[in-house]
Amino acid sequence: MNTLDRSKISRGFIRKSALLIVLFALLIPAPAMAAETQGMMGLNPTTFFLLFLVISTLIGIIAVLAGVGGGVIFTPLMMGFTPIDGLVIRGTGLFVAMTGALVAARPFLKRGLANIRLLYFAAVPYALFAVIGALLAVYIKQTMGVTGEAYVRLALGILVILIAMLFIFAGNRIEYPEVKHVDGFTKRVGLAMAYWEESLGSVVQYQVTRAWLGMILFAGVGLVSGLFGLGAGWAMVPVLNLVMMAPLKVAAASSKVLIGIGDTAAIWPYIMQGTIFPLFAVPCMIGLILGTIIGAKIMLRVRAGFVRYLIIGIMFLSGARLIQQSLTMLGYL
Amino acid sequence: MQEVDKKVDSKPEPPFAGVVYGEITYWVVLAGMLISLSGVIMILTTESNYIDSACLLNDLWAGKDPGEIWETCTGVHEEGHWYLNKLNTGDGIAMLGIALSCLAAVMGVWLSSFALLRSREMLFFVFSVITAIILTASSTGLINVGH
Repeated sequence: MNTLDRSKISRGFIRKSALLIVLFALLIPAPAMAAETQGMMGLNPTTFFLLFLVISTLIGIIAVLAGVGGGVIFTPLMMGFTPIDGLVIRGTGLFVAMTGALVAARPFLKRGLANIRLLYFAAVPYALFAVIGALLAVYIKQTMGVTGEAYVRLALGILVILIAMLFIFAGNRIEYPEVKHVDGFTKRVGLAMAYWEESLGSVVQYQVTRAWLGMILFAGVGLVSGLFGLGAGWAMVPVLNLVMMAPLKVAAASSKVLIGIGDTAAIWPYIMQGTIFPLFAVPCMIGLILGTIIGAKIMLRVRAGFVRYLIIGIMFLSGARLIQQSLTMLGYL
Repeated sequence: MQEVDKKVDSKPEPPFAGVVYGEITYWVVLAGMLISLSGVIMILTTESNYIDSACLLNDLWAGKDPGEIWETCTGVHEEGHWYLNKLNTGDGIAMLGIALSCLAAVMGVWLSSFALLRSREMLFFVFSVITAIILTASSTGLINVGH
């Protein structure tokens, strides 16, 4: 999809979204709002909905400008800076990462940019271990209580700081990696494909390699994603691009589609345990998708470098806060 | 640098299985989003709610775990597909929309696997069926942790 198409789609979507929000506001009669019982911190449910809609929109905008998925910021930020239960936030984090990825997948598949063979090859370990991760999260909550929550927060805090460091030190991705040798296993699986590269005006036929290593790494990424309720683009793109040597565009597109599949597998154990509350999940989902679209629109006009450092700062702060919370819960602070 | 084939100047057709998956997930998620938004509008504007909103917000902000929130606000800890019996309430409709969005990839992968079978990509058909089985088992609660 070229920039013009994307811009037209974004304009259309923003217009439709704005219309939806206006309709939504008009549908809420003022007397009903006034009559509502006050909830959290004196906020009524409508104000709560709008507050989280705005917060999630901002997270979506910042995430896009920094080139990451919203899920990776949503979960640590909400866990670090709101008192809401960790399991509720992780389930909601998975839900928002999943819906964002599913909506974004369509153009990548329509253009043949996402490699369907690579997708299903990676989806088996990724989805399987994402479910295991989600089950583990519920199991820890049920059997270990506060201590389990403290260890999850500690591990997530360390992970978020590591991801922030990954953004600083491992930024060198390769647009068209050179595949010198394709191992026997990858050859037998047959993951090579071709796509039309608009900027070159030609077909790019590419190979991938080290499929066996990719499979192991996808399992690990799935486990982390399901356990902590994070999107997995931060790990998936490097695995596809730097380990399996897929072209950068193919890696980014395939990663987006894969997150939709893996997070779908992981979200259900959270739903089955009743951890998703619509009044919290729906504004976060709509806000993050809206933010992603608005962010893509304003991306052309701002300095991405500054936003990248802003997001790295947010991640360090969230990570440090999560570690501090866990140490307090364990009685060390 | 990967091989850039300058001789081939026609765009390759995108794999049908991918297009099927992309279209299904996109429209099902969109439908789910609209249903869930309608449910939330109902929660905010009518009295026909299953979970008391003020109680939910208070308990959420008090950091209570999901089981406690359910117990306090509805008297029962709802699990599984609870919303199917509460479709006359805003919460039930909103949760139905969320569940529909979460089913988008399950439907997409199953139908995409049939497209792979039709194009005789047998190995990837097997991979897609395994993925579809994992997603189905997860969404039906076959893979779950006991309480």
